[in-house]
Amino acid sequence: MRECWALIVASWKTALSYRLSMAFSLVSLIVGIVPVYFVARALQTTMAKSIELQGGEYFAFLLIGMVALTFIMTAVNAIPGVITSGIATGTLEALLSTRASLPELVSGLIGYNFMWTGLRSLVMLAAGLALGVHLVWGAWLPTLFIMALIVLAYLPFGIFAAALQLAFRTAGPLPSAVLVASSFLGGVYYPTHVMPSWLPRLSDAIPLTYGLRALRMTLLEGIPFTAVIPDVATLIGFVLFLTALSLFALTEALHYARRSGTLAQY
Amino acid sequence: MTETATPTPLEAPVPAAARPVSVVLDGLGKRFPVRRGWMQMMRHPRRIAYTPVLQNVSAEVYEGEFFGLLGPNGAGKTTLFKILATLVLPDAGTASIAGFDIIQEAPRVRRVLAPVIADERSLYWRLSARENLELYGVLQGLDRRAAGERADDLLRVVGLDDTGIKIVASFSSGMKQRLLIARALIGGPRVLLLDEPTRSLDPISARQFRAFLREEIAGRQKCTVLLATHNTEEALELCDRVAVLDHGRMLATGTAARLARENGDERYRLWMRDPRQPGIAALVERGVARDVEVRGVDDDGWSILEMEIPGGPDRAAQVLAFLTEQNIPISRFERVTLSLADLIQRIVERQDRSEAADA
Repeated sequence: MRECWALIVASWKTALSYRLSMAFSLVSLIVGIVPVYFVARALQTTMAKSIELQGGEYFAFLLIGMVALTFIMTAVNAIPGVITSGIATGTLEALLSTRASLPELVSGLIGYNFMWTGLRSLVMLAAGLALGVHLVWGAWLPTLFIMALIVLAYLPFGIFAAALQLAFRTAGPLPSAVLVASSFLGGVYYPTHVMPSWLPRLSDAIPLTYGLRALRMTLLEGIPFTAVIPDVATLIGFVLFLTALSLFALTEALHYARRSGTLAQY
Repeated sequence: MTETATPTPLEAPVPAAARPVSVVLDGLGKRFPVRRGWMQMMRHPRRIAYTPVLQNVSAEVYEGEFFGLLGPNGAGKTTLFKILATLVLPDAGTASIAGFDIIQEAPRVRRVLAPVIADERSLYWRLSARENLELYGVLQGLDRRAAGERADDLLRVVGLDDTGIKIVASFSSGMKQRLLIARALIGGPRVLLLDEPTRSLDPISARQFRAFLREEIAGRQKCTVLLATHNTEEALELCDRVAVLDHGRMLATGTAARLARENGDERYRLWMRDPRQPGIAALVERGVARDVEVRGVDDDGWSILEMEIPGGPDRAAQVLAFLTEQNIPISRFERVTLSLADLIQRIVERQDRSEAADA
């Protein structure tokens, strides 16, 4: 834990040394929300019927989708990202030569990315609240739980990508494919049931579909947690299955990289 | 260091003062697949060619010893270091660091061994030197306070105590190299791996840095140091013993002076007016001298000749007496001192000749 925290602090201090970049990033988020608000208002009448079970307000619907998307982008990209930059700069070799274990190192290296994503999400939510979004504040605990499950369901894709990165020096199209599929079929911008009849079957294979539905019903509609248990259970299934598979892939990739000499090789 | 699984006539004797063994390499072997084009992979998917990078490398390094690994680029030095640092698995053989097996006990090996990664970019450039050391102190198992104290100590040791709070981006290459050493020392390692530590330093900084390594790392910190280099000056100045590595094979081991003596003792240089003296030809005919070469003419017009005189200094004295009896004017006569680069080349050539003869 101490090792993990030390790495997060190091990343935080590094990011803080680029103050202007940090400030621009936050300001651009706030500015970016405004056009989304107007587009959502323009489409409100069209979308109202199809999202009536998920809050009924299209701007709030979009906002929750975008926050979840921000988190899954971090989950998918963070681990291969830190591995790639670690290989390029030589920090990975230096870190792997320390006593810290691989899970400690990985958690520490991506910890800052998640904290930053959390901060960005809060800024987005604050901007949304300022623009009139209504959230069910009593549902914050189930909301956090569901959001954590969404992240855990997508982290394995990041681990898969990292395994590919370690073994073959490229993650290929995996991260992009996962993110594109999830954003278009997972219900970020529209509910999955409005898609052509054969597409919802594909969206059933995407963890975000269940996570977002449960999240919106809880946070926007105020539906009790017990009502979203089927979605949550499916999400937990994804987490267990994908995590086991991805850890196996990472172990094999590490062994392959150590054997073939590509670990930490530029 | 006792010697290798590929013994040579240059094998060094076990030092009389038997210190505990710190690093044991036992028949280490590693090969990497040769990169192939797509067409080749499609045609012959199973026909994979391999390049041997290390072949049956064995050695022992004693505690507190400064041990040099010499060899040209591609000799296998860096791969050997990566194997010892547990970043690469060997295909054959084994190795242990302070008694811990590098394959079975890799986490324990990382507690006692620290590679000095010479790449400056592996530092956190936007953090201060002290923050870099503190971070790695925690990663090496120290608590935050202990890591801070150790960082302050090490900044003093490497002479960066007055610049410790400045960000690394503002450091010169020499300062960064010192910081890299301090980073490796933060966990209190017993064995240090140095891979060409002065490659990015100017000659003066490199000399200062070598003095620091000798006095501080070997002298005060009492670390066992394995130094990979192809810088001859560095090896001569720092190492108690050196091993010559070429194409993954350890060809010879011993003190640099001993290896030079064994490989360069028989070559002599003499200054004479006319290099085409019949006396020289007579020496070659009788087999007393061989490989006679004219190396040029000095400022006073004396020709410089080099020749090999097998048989040691006594035979060289006889040759000199013979030439004097022949009334051949000789202004100077000396034994050729080999540079380490020449030495490596000679050892490699000698090995090649021996293999060709065997074939």
